[in-house]
Amino acid sequence: MSTPALEARQLRKHWPQSGQVLDGCTVRVERRTVHALIGASGSGKSTLLRCLGLLERPDAGSILFEGVTAADGPVVSNDPRVRRCVGMVFQEPNLFPHLTALGNVWLAPHRVLGLDPGEARERARMTLDRVHALHLADRRPDELSGGERQRVAIARALAMEPTVLLCDEPTSALDPMLTREVMAVLRELALDAGTNMVVVTHDMDFVAAAADSVDFLHAGRIRVSGSTDVLGTRGLDAELDRFLQRS
Amino acid sequence: MGAASRPTSGGCSGYPAIDSINRVPSVLAAFLALAATTVAAANDGLASMRAAGVMRWGCDISGGAPFAFPDPSDPDRVIGFEVEIAEDLARRLGVRAERYSADWLALIDGLEAQRCDLLINGFEVTADRARVVAFSSPYFRYAQQLVVRAEDRDRFTSLAALAGSPIAVLNGSASIESLRTAGVPRSLIVEYDDSLAPFTETLLGRVDACLQESFIARFFAGHDERLALVEQTFDPGEYGVVVRKSDGTLLAEVNAALSAMRADGTLGRILQRWGLWNDAQRELGTERGPEVAAIPEAIGTPPADGLPWSLILWSLARAAAMTALLTVVSMPIATFAGLWLAIAILHGPKPLSRLCHGYVLVTRGTPLLVQIFLLYYSLPALGTWLGVPELLTWNKVVVGIVCLAANYAAYEAEIHRAALQAIPRSQWDAAGALGFTPRQTLRFIVIPQSWRLSLPAIINDLNSLIKDSSLVSMIGVQELLAVALGIGKASFAVPSMLVAAAAFYLVLSLLADWFGHSLERRARAVQALPEPIPR
Ligand SMILES: Nc1ncnc2c1ncn2[C@@H]1O[C@H](COP(=O)(O)OP(=O)(O)OP(=O)(O)O)[C@@H](O)[C@H]1O
Ligand SMILES: [Mg+2]
Repeated sequence: MSTPALEARQLRKHWPQSGQVLDGCTVRVERRTVHALIGASGSGKSTLLRCLGLLERPDAGSILFEGVTAADGPVVSNDPRVRRCVGMVFQEPNLFPHLTALGNVWLAPHRVLGLDPGEARERARMTLDRVHALHLADRRPDELSGGERQRVAIARALAMEPTVLLCDEPTSALDPMLTREVMAVLRELALDAGTNMVVVTHDMDFVAAAADSVDFLHAGRIRVSGSTDVLGTRGLDAELDRFLQRS
Repeated sequence: MGAASRPTSGGCSGYPAIDSINRVPSVLAAFLALAATTVAAANDGLASMRAAGVMRWGCDISGGAPFAFPDPSDPDRVIGFEVEIAEDLARRLGVRAERYSADWLALIDGLEAQRCDLLINGFEVTADRARVVAFSSPYFRYAQQLVVRAEDRDRFTSLAALAGSPIAVLNGSASIESLRTAGVPRSLIVEYDDSLAPFTETLLGRVDACLQESFIARFFAGHDERLALVEQTFDPGEYGVVVRKSDGTLLAEVNAALSAMRADGTLGRILQRWGLWNDAQRELGTERGPEVAAIPEAIGTPPADGLPWSLILWSLARAAAMTALLTVVSMPIATFAGLWLAIAILHGPKPLSRLCHGYVLVTRGTPLLVQIFLLYYSLPALGTWLGVPELLTWNKVVVGIVCLAANYAAYEAEIHRAALQAIPRSQWDAAGALGFTPRQTLRFIVIPQSWRLSLPAIINDLNSLIKDSSLVSMIGVQELLAVALGIGKASFAVPSMLVAAAAFYLVLSLLADWFGHSLERRARAVQALPEPIPR
């Protein structure tokens, strides 16, 4: 069995105000797969994703990118080579408002990867093209639609060429029309070889069409884990049945 | 320092709310005394004076005529009877006279901090003061003189005749002591901050008389036929040259020179030129010498042919340039230091964060004026203590800039802190997910955004700094307000000089706004990417 692109073992995280949010989560994302994370609101999906993205310190457990330890309990790696293995796309695009769309995509390759400005610019243009947003290059974030913003945010994360791209409900702030637009981009990326993705989503159609594997999270625990076939099977887990019924 | 420390000369010290300023030196007294002894032990005034070939003599040029004041017909020149005494004294000591200016209230501290060698500026010889500094033999004898309205000339011929009438004096002046000694009740003594006010109040009838030193009475009221000087003077006192207590050899030389000056008629001639001669001077052993006519400047009248506006505006313009220099140098320092403080407070390690927060609290919680005094007078002691006496040579403009920058940095820190905190957490998340370190996130993502938010408030502070910079005139920096007041008092034109100064301030302020707006425009624009490197 080859080393997975991303592996999280027994992650635990609690918030003083809300108790044990992650209660021993183990996640395994094989190479070249799209992994979906589903679960009810408040089940801990965002928290898990933020831990995987190294934005949050887990209380216990470990995270490995391609076999390299990125977090061991609350000790999170500061090594830029490790940190740049993950990219994140949030619920909100969180674009940098003082830069153009191109600038948003350009900044990290230039400043973090150390590419020279021209090289970074080329990469930024290519990445914007991949998400069909090249024509928006010179717009400011507040001159973009919600879907356009989210596409730029995806490009911004992709330009760092992460091993794993973590997407936290990238379409929940968008109307159905835009959802389709962003999902189309994600699907295309997913089909594009070499991209590993973890997508938190409520869009079961997307899961069925584009995901290879899925984890069902409930109350901080992963109740069901496996291929997307589990979504068609009833009786595996009562909570999952209830969840699928509702969505 | 008691009431006696007020400039009777100051007659003309024109700073409002001077009472609060008056207390500053006493608050710092213990500290400064320590400073002074440390420094004084290290130097002998006469030897260092001779070595430098310069006698630095201290005075306040905004104190008004006839002491040392800007020539009304050429405001760049400082004239006055004490200027002439200082120059003659320096010549006799075989060195060159160099004027050191500071606010009158700060002169003694300046002397003790070795910023000058001696003071010649209407310092009355009092027991209080003699405990702190040494006095030479006196060079001038004055007395208190009443001024009344011309129509009361025959009614109020003495202090006794004024029994029961309110009398105006300059706030904190020696005249108060004289009245109290003569048994005038406190309730009848009305104090004013401004030297001209006692005269105008007498004219307006709010008081029946005003009391001040005789030659000041003559200078301000002599040319006004609505006022009359009461012939009978009383309570005489004397002015002496002030030197540090430790400078015994210098004191002896100064005394010898003054004796010679008195004996050969030089001092008599100077006093005659300035209309200050009277028989009381003979009691000090001063020879009158050949008769000399008083010069026009000695007779306190406004210049007959109007104010020399082109010269005055030129002086004010240069003073405005000083104000602009103080502002232009200190504000960028304050802005960047403030940003650094804010970052240290928000993101620094705990001890540093606490320290910086404490700095902001203390700096914002204490008057700028106190900080200026503290830095100015403690630097020499600090320099000696650290073994870097060069700190001594920090001139007052540098001290002024450092103080203004350090003070405003605290205010700017709070502005930056609010702006930094206004940047949403999600921006940090986005940057963190892209692999930016916290330092890079601040530099490339957070500060470019917070800067837009803080800029309007910073420009606002820039405007108030332009005006606050006038406080450094307390240590003798000739900025706009000090120069305007100095010229105004010397030319009997304080209101018009203040209006002129206000106009200059307004121009500076408008320039600051214009600059601020162009900065804001630039900050609002999206940042352009560098062009690709041509291949
Ligand atoms: N910073 C925080 N401090 C305290 N509690 C938190 C914090 N972030 C999340 N929580 C709590 O942790 C629990 C899980 O939150 P999380 O955001 O991971 O849920 P989610 O599965 O992403 O839900 P949704 O589908 O609504 O986005 C919730 O009860 C939430 O209140
Ligand atoms: Mg969530």
